[in-house]
Amino acid sequence: MEAIWLYQFRLIVIGDSTVGKSCLIRRFTEGRFAQVSDPTVGVDFFSRLVEIEPGKRIKLQIWDTAGQERFRSITRAYYRNSVGGLLLFDITNRRSFQNVHEWLEETKVHVQPYQIVFVLVGHKCDLDTQRQVTRHEAEKLAAAYGMKYIETSARDAINVEKAFTDLTRDIYELVKRGEITIQEGWEGVKSGFVPNVVHSSEEVVKSERRCLC
Amino acid sequence: MSDKDDTETPVLTETVPDGNCEPAKNSECVDQNAKPGSKSEPVGSTRKRPEAKPSSDLETSKVLPVQETTSKDVPQTGWGYWGSWGKSLLSSASATVATVGQGISTVIEKAETSLGIPSPSEISTEKYAPGETNAKENENSSPVAGPFGVFSTISTAVQSTGKSVISGGLDALEFIGKKTMDVIAEGDPGFKRTKGLMNRNSTLSQVLREAKEKEAVRTASEVTMETDKKTHYGLLFDEFQGLSHLEALEMLSRESEIKVKSVLNSLSGEELETLKLELQQLKETFSLAEFCDEEEEEKKGDEDFTKEITELFSQLHVSSKPEKLAKARNTAHEWIRKSLTKPLAEKGEEKQSEAENNERVNENSVEDIHAFAIRSLAELTACSIELFHKTAALLLHGRKQEVMAIERSQTLSQMTVMLCKELSFLSKEFTTCLTTAGVKEKADILNPLITAVFLEASNSASYIQDAFQLLLPVLQISLIENKMESSRHEQQSQRPLSE
Repeated sequence: MEAIWLYQFRLIVIGDSTVGKSCLIRRFTEGRFAQVSDPTVGVDFFSRLVEIEPGKRIKLQIWDTAGQERFRSITRAYYRNSVGGLLLFDITNRRSFQNVHEWLEETKVHVQPYQIVFVLVGHKCDLDTQRQVTRHEAEKLAAAYGMKYIETSARDAINVEKAFTDLTRDIYELVKRGEITIQEGWEGVKSGFVPNVVHSSEEVVKSERRCLC
Repeated sequence: MSDKDDTETPVLTETVPDGNCEPAKNSECVDQNAKPGSKSEPVGSTRKRPEAKPSSDLETSKVLPVQETTSKDVPQTGWGYWGSWGKSLLSSASATVATVGQGISTVIEKAETSLGIPSPSEISTEKYAPGETNAKENENSSPVAGPFGVFSTISTAVQSTGKSVISGGLDALEFIGKKTMDVIAEGDPGFKRTKGLMNRNSTLSQVLREAKEKEAVRTASEVTMETDKKTHYGLLFDEFQGLSHLEALEMLSRESEIKVKSVLNSLSGEELETLKLELQQLKETFSLAEFCDEEEEEKKGDEDFTKEITELFSQLHVSSKPEKLAKARNTAHEWIRKSLTKPLAEKGEEKQSEAENNERVNENSVEDIHAFAIRSLAELTACSIELFHKTAALLLHGRKQEVMAIERSQTLSQMTVMLCKELSFLSKEFTTCLTTAGVKEKADILNPLITAVFLEASNSASYIQDAFQLLLPVLQISLIENKMESSRHEQQSQRPLSE
């Protein structure tokens, strides 16, 4: 369960209702595809460790937001404390792609004074025959906003790992370069735990005592 | 629940350490403890302050190494230890009778027996000096008369405790938790860190998160202590996303509170008074008065629990369902059933077959049971808080329902009671498992495990109750919004919503 990690990143997953946010996260955190799932109420939580380099683990705390409009005021409150985000649309649903602008505008307003590193995710790429959004135009849009673009499928487990780990790596680079810093009162990035750093005298005594039992 | 703190005051002054029981005089120390009214250093010092300051840790840890040199094999939690605990509980119990009432004191006494704490008289009749002699006996691994005597009473007492605790109100369970936690902190390393909780100045999730983070630092620096991690309530609670849901619920609660205040500020005169009255009525349903009155219920089957919680939930008229919670609860009970049937079968037919031997390999050790118990409690609590969080989200942003806020709060109150009872019941079942499986274990191994289960159950119950309280502003704002909605309908939108 709990292992040692360098940092904890809080990621938020947003996008229109029914684009498959929860399914993508479940595939990533639970390794399976949930055929039927109820619409998310407010927000849900998942977590997973990601190894970005051998021995270097990042704990991801993933906030799965409701896509439904009625919960918008709740989900808005969560932007501020996220360092990264996956902005999903459904490649078989043109409308969800068109709404990407709106999502970005909305986050921009609510994330101040912080920033979120977003990746644009074209989901349900297993349904290529029903595609309504071309890869080209999605890439163009992503580039216009300085995002990466990736196509995923939770059902066929395509690019799911990559979507999360690439984003995690990008954030990690920014943290390493000091462009993102850990701040008091901000949950986006938290420092993790490195083994055997501090042993207060109390702890040493404690562990000795325990061995005697 | 917080007014308990007041009642503790007399107890605290009473147990201020006076006689410095020098470790060298270990046995004498215990004898002293057997007499009500005597004091012992380690217990006294830890009990003084629920919010343990580092200084106390140093204090106790300074004492203990010396103790180890005198009798090198005496486990931490030998009779001396429990003896002093028994004593301090007794004295605190008697101090409480005056303030809190008879009911609680009986519960404490029963819990005390169930926890395997020898009564003062039992201790004084112990022939051997609890220090060295006991340790030697342990080495020989010959059955010690004392512990066995206690064990035989444990299983029955545990059962009766469960009942008393429930009928005496969950306050009592929580009370026991508060009383004993400092003592336990001594024996259970993971435990102490979470207990800063009793200090409720900051929000619950904050405190929990801090405790968890501290604990994670500690466990991370001692990678070898695998069992420690497996049984740390705070870490497990977070793993089940309990902390996140709590945090989210707090956010909704805070937001609602602000809204309620701004509405109240915008009103005046009769309108304000009427609303205030209604809000007050709503608040009254949050006092959980029925905790003490409710009759003790018979053991519930899985279907019953699922049915009951689902029914309560449907009364709320929110769209989410308590499936996850029911599943977690039923899994725990299934595990208990399996765990309890195995050793019982073994008792009857001592030697049966090779297959039986295989069974025995799979049998759960007391550590396994303890780990599973803590895990289950953490999971159930996390699920309950998730449920409350979801309910809050739906109350605020769900589709409009024709249910009065006050009816909803009554239902939620019932649900809280039900969940807390369930936790209490579960902890009782787990301790029965522990005592059954731990017949051959030494008291100093078994007792802390049993106590830890009871304690985490009582903590769980307080988290759930706190989460429930967070729903009050949410229900208040939903009441206000419903009111405004209907008045707007009547008056053709004269006054717009405050939002």
